This record gives sequence, structure tokens and C-alpha cells, in this order.
Amino acid sequence: MTTEPRWKRARGWMDLRGRREGGLAFLLMRLTGIGLVIYLFLHLYVLRLLAQGPEAWDAFIATAKSPLFLMLDGILILGLLYHAFNGVRVTLLGLGIGVPLQARLFWGVMVLTLLLTGVAVYAIFALTG
Amino acid sequence: MWIWQAFTGLLLLVLLALHMIFNHFVVEGGLRTYRDVVAYLSHPLVFAWEIALLIVVTAHALMGVRAILLDLGIRPATDRWLKRGLTLLALGIIGYGMWLSWLIRSRGL
Repeated sequence: MTTEPRWKRARGWMDLRGRREGGLAFLLMRLTGIGLVIYLFLHLYVLRLLAQGPEAWDAFIATAKSPLFLMLDGILILGLLYHAFNGVRVTLLGLGIGVPLQARLFWGVMVLTLLLTGVAVYAIFALTG
Repeated sequence: MWIWQAFTGLLLLVLLALHMIFNHFVVEGGLRTYRDVVAYLSHPLVFAWEIALLIVVTAHALMGVRAILLDLGIRPATDRWLKRGLTLLALGIIGYGMWLSWLIRSRGL
């Protein structure tokens, strides 16, 4: 264990110099993870409107169909898909599968994430439009 | 620790994929109205599925928070309190989610 102050160690995983794909994958996993935890809390908090009855919920649904909200949904899905696909990559690597391919797997994760996000965003706007 | 994160993560692939599809991608307009939510949750399989998702996603999220804090180098004594705190928080979240789901479901029965 180093004697560096905690904030410097915290900054360590933000520092990408010399770390390439593996480091970038790890950083993005952390950032999407933090974002998803915050989203989970917001999501569960918003669901309380269901307890208040039809008016409260249906008013929220109307707001949630605004273009701004739908764009935020797109960002959520981008982060979610990255976290999911890279989670599969990390699990495989952790089990010793595909270790020499880890960098290429990362780019595979990126391609899958962007492709499926594109499909999802198209579907979101097609469904609500 | 790592293996539990991976295990709950893999469960979430299935739990969350169906949650997203059933709640949004096969729904007229992409979002359920109040009436639709009540009808949806009245189905026992759907109810069980959503509760399973609630439990697994809470565990995965809070274990992730702990993993990040451990990486920041918190002391073992702090970690003991952290574990207690996160366990209580998990129970609170799961309790809230179950209460809410049960309430909504009961309105459709």
C-alpha cells in the first residue's frame, strides 16, 4: 500500500497515460458504474409517483416523452450497454478466457455498444414519436 | 467478491434485458401509463421477475460502490462500517421496492 494521499490514489484510475485499452476499459467501467448507481436511485425515487395515483404518474410519463428526456434515455442506454458488454469481457478475462485478446475484445465491446445504442435510440424515438 | 460481482452482473443481463423490453420496447408509446403498470404488475410471473431484478440490481450496485471505495484505500475498520451501512441501505432499498410493488399490484387485484 502506498503512502500517497487518498485523493491522489483516487486520481490514479482517472490517469490514462501508458495504460491504453485495458486502462480505458477500466475507467469507463467505473464511470458508467457510478452513473448507473445514481440512475438506479433516481429511478426508484421516481417510481414513488406510482403510489400517489394515476394523475401523478401519467403527468410524469408525459414529461418523460419530451425530446430532452429521450436523449437522456439514449445516454443511459449507451452507459448501460457499455457496462454490460464490458462486464462480460471482464468476466471472461477474470476466468482466464481470451486474455491475449483483451484489447481487441475492448474494441469489440465498443462496436457492439455503439451499434446497439444506435438501434435503441432509433427505437425510442420511433416508439414515442 | 469479484466472482459475486460477475455472477450478479450476468444475472442482470437477463433480468434487465427483459425488464427493458417488457416495460418499454413492446409498449405502445414506450412508457406504461398508470393503468398499464397496475395491470402489468398483477401478473405473478412479472411481479416475481421485477422483485428478483430489484434484489440483484441492488446487490450489484452496492457491491460496486464498495469495490470503488476499497480501491480508494479505505481502512479495514472503515470497511467494516461500510459493509454494515451498505447492508442496511440494501435492505432499505429492497424493502421500499417490495412495498411499492406490492401496493401497486394490490390495486389491480
